[in-house]
Amino acid sequence: MKENILIIGGGAAGMEAATQLQKMGLTPIIVEKSEQLGGHVAQWDRLFPAFHPAKDVVEKMLNQVKDVKTYLNTEVTDIQRDDNGFHATLSNNEKIDAKAVILATGFDIFKAERKQEYGYGIYNNVMTSVELEKFFRTGHDARINNPKKIGFVHCVGARDVKVCNTYCSKVCCTTALKQACEIKEVFPDAEVYTFYMDLRMFGPGYEDLYLKTQKDFDVKCVRGRVCEVSEDMDGKLVIKAEDTLFGKPLKMTLDVLVLMCAMEKNKSIDAIQQKLGVANNTDGFMQNQDMYLGMNTTAQDGVFVAGACTAPKSLPDTIGEARSVATQVFNYINNK
Amino acid sequence: MNSQIIFHPFVLPFVLGMAFVLTYCVVGLIRVIAQLPKDDRKKFWRSLVTPKTAWANIRDLFGDCLFHVKIWKRNPVLGYMHSAIAFGWFMIIVIGHIMLFTLKPLQGVEVEGMARTFTNFYYPIFYKFFATETPVFAFLMDFFLLMIISGILIAVVKKIHSKIVGVKRVTKFGFADNMIRFALWTIFPFRLIAEKTNIMAFWWLYSIDLLIFMCMLPFTRYMHIPTEALFILLRHAGIKPSDPRKGYALAQIYSCPSCGLCIDACPMSVNDKNSGNTSAYFMKKLRNGDKEEAQRIAETCMQCGKCVEVCPVSIESCDIKMSQRAAVPYEIHSDHSYLDVISTEAEKSSKVLYFAGCMTQLTPKIMRAMKKIMTAAGEEYQFLDENGGICCGRPMLLSGKTAEAQAMIEKNTELIKQSGTTKLVLSCPICYKVFKEEYHLEGIEIQHHTQYIDELVKSGKLKVNKNDVNYVYHDPCELGRAFGVYDEPREVLENVGNLCKAKSEKELSICCGGSLGSFNLTQKERDEITENSVNDLMFNNPDEIVTACPLCLKTFARKSPVKVKDIAEVVESQIIN
Repeated sequence: MKENILIIGGGAAGMEAATQLQKMGLTPIIVEKSEQLGGHVAQWDRLFPAFHPAKDVVEKMLNQVKDVKTYLNTEVTDIQRDDNGFHATLSNNEKIDAKAVILATGFDIFKAERKQEYGYGIYNNVMTSVELEKFFRTGHDARINNPKKIGFVHCVGARDVKVCNTYCSKVCCTTALKQACEIKEVFPDAEVYTFYMDLRMFGPGYEDLYLKTQKDFDVKCVRGRVCEVSEDMDGKLVIKAEDTLFGKPLKMTLDVLVLMCAMEKNKSIDAIQQKLGVANNTDGFMQNQDMYLGMNTTAQDGVFVAGACTAPKSLPDTIGEARSVATQVFNYINNK
Repeated sequence: MNSQIIFHPFVLPFVLGMAFVLTYCVVGLIRVIAQLPKDDRKKFWRSLVTPKTAWANIRDLFGDCLFHVKIWKRNPVLGYMHSAIAFGWFMIIVIGHIMLFTLKPLQGVEVEGMARTFTNFYYPIFYKFFATETPVFAFLMDFFLLMIISGILIAVVKKIHSKIVGVKRVTKFGFADNMIRFALWTIFPFRLIAEKTNIMAFWWLYSIDLLIFMCMLPFTRYMHIPTEALFILLRHAGIKPSDPRKGYALAQIYSCPSCGLCIDACPMSVNDKNSGNTSAYFMKKLRNGDKEEAQRIAETCMQCGKCVEVCPVSIESCDIKMSQRAAVPYEIHSDHSYLDVISTEAEKSSKVLYFAGCMTQLTPKIMRAMKKIMTAAGEEYQFLDENGGICCGRPMLLSGKTAEAQAMIEKNTELIKQSGTTKLVLSCPICYKVFKEEYHLEGIEIQHHTQYIDELVKSGKLKVNKNDVNYVYHDPCELGRAFGVYDEPREVLENVGNLCKAKSEKELSICCGGSLGSFNLTQKERDEITENSVNDLMFNNPDEIVTACPLCLKTFARKSPVKVKDIAEVVESQIIN
């Protein structure tokens, strides 16, 4: 049994699924559009809730897939299916035959420019959570210049009808607190504020992180949304928000504002997804069969999904799903 | 033909119907005028003798009531259909009466006094039964009768398949409206047959049809025939509806012909389910006294004004919806005590005063662009609300809360007057509408930034490059339809790039869907409207969509396949320093 399994996407979900499938005796093939495996996790510095280096996890995963056939800088440009399975054409004109397809295409980051009132792309000192993470990784960002006051805005592009995203992006709350602690580590004298709607600390150790953020790092968590951002004469940011616990509007001058951008569906796969006949759910992510027993299967036989392509997910969620999809594919091939 | 006869019982149904409808109209007229607030009534009487309004009255009475100019402009086929029936009918009544007075005595039968008055009442309607006419009159009468019948044929086609005459959706009617329509359609064929064959049964049918028509008229959409004239007079008097069911509004309710032209025009109709929320149905609900439904529709409406624009009768449905909203006490508890402490840093000088408004504060790119433009043009300006200002009052006005809005209007007026400016520039059409209509800023010119930029470019103060980008311009409802600012933004865009056309432009522009006007459209319904509007703008494949309203900008940005910019941003990028 050496059936090919085509995995589209070489992030956490794709790599972990490939690892498991290989152990089961199948032949996974990863097609990754960027120049390296690892997806968004490879861009991250440390992981919540315990500040574990992301590099550690990514390196272990990379090590496990070193024997897996992998195409980098490659996209699937066409896919057909017949009685023998799937026939994919890649952007390098190679053709791949496979018995099953796993969509592990993950997510895109919400484009912060779409919330113009937060001033991203307009005011210099507004940055995204991804850019801040890069600062932690590289120690360099022109905007971060010994800041005295830093703010974090939660739910940028999530739980927001006005940008057509009503869902919760799940990981940003915890990420914001993690990053708030980290920036405080770098600049212990800085004042750090986070503006949240409510804090969704859903996992083991997450609530502890929240307490630690306040007790050990003296981060001020304000319940209320930031409504608008402007710039003063010195290039500092003036934000307006409401403290809903005090019931008072507030105005504050900040040196840096970090936007916790939500996850959105990765749209670069839309054409292939459509060819495979996989629909989107109401949040715009891929529709799986159901959220309990059919989370990895789709309406199309032989087309599987794993990771953040079906909804925003944390890294442990994604790895769990990747392992589960491998079992599903294994059973599918054996029962054929 | 029946030259010795001056009376036949078949005229009685007609006489009865006519008497009823005349009485009803006189009573209705008195009622409407009596219901007008005292000031409005004074305005009304005065307008009748003021030369300017009197002339407008005459012009529109002929143009709208008789020649239906507005329908012709909108849709020539419908124009012909309506004119054939209404103008044709009018002409046979007029010619009938001319004959009455020129051909007397009618075929040698002398009738005098009361009897003469009585016969005059029905002679022109049934003249062929009682008299013989000259060939010229005979030709004219037949000509107009056939014209009416040709109009009815189009109406029948429209009823069967409205798309043939260019109408996608038609108003759905109840029993009474359908029945009177059927009566109207049969009146003239019966008359033609009666006149040509002189069969008594058809004279009876003709007369009974008239009775049915006239007895049902006050309770159906055909009431627009007598009411429109009164509505035109009231409209020119400059009255606003103060109550959604009384006085001026009543005249409008009865003037609505339920033609349904507003149904296709309404942006909400993109979803068939919502086409029942259009003005034609709103007016019907008001007429039927269905307050709950009328209130619901009034709250759903986005106040984009397109129905008013396409209405052949110029029914001011947006205003009536506003008065309907004002009639309901919403539970809004507003605290305006903060107004006392608000002040402005603007100093006393005659510099241009720029007021960004709340929505522009949320789209800082526009503010930044305006600052750059004013600086580049060497204009001296002051910023009224750079560090926060007060709302212009429109949202409160839209919820019918006039007093609450007034508090903000007064404070803003105070701040603006304090500055000593002579020119106020606004970036938001929503503010612009309120400043133009509700503020009393004598001696201060109010401009939207499209007009201001146009002026700066034309006067040579602002020098701009022309690039190769194809722009399409979206007319914001509150700037275009409300104030006719169509040309200035287009001229500005032609100076900085290539202007291409949208499918529906200017007064027919489709609301972006983000309107503050609606209280209860769901986000999904709004998105459908936005998508439809974007598709319309993308008709000629422009590179960028340009608008002049921060709310349109934000709304389109969610759904547009190309970049959406404010006109100020576009100009900013093309400034020659």
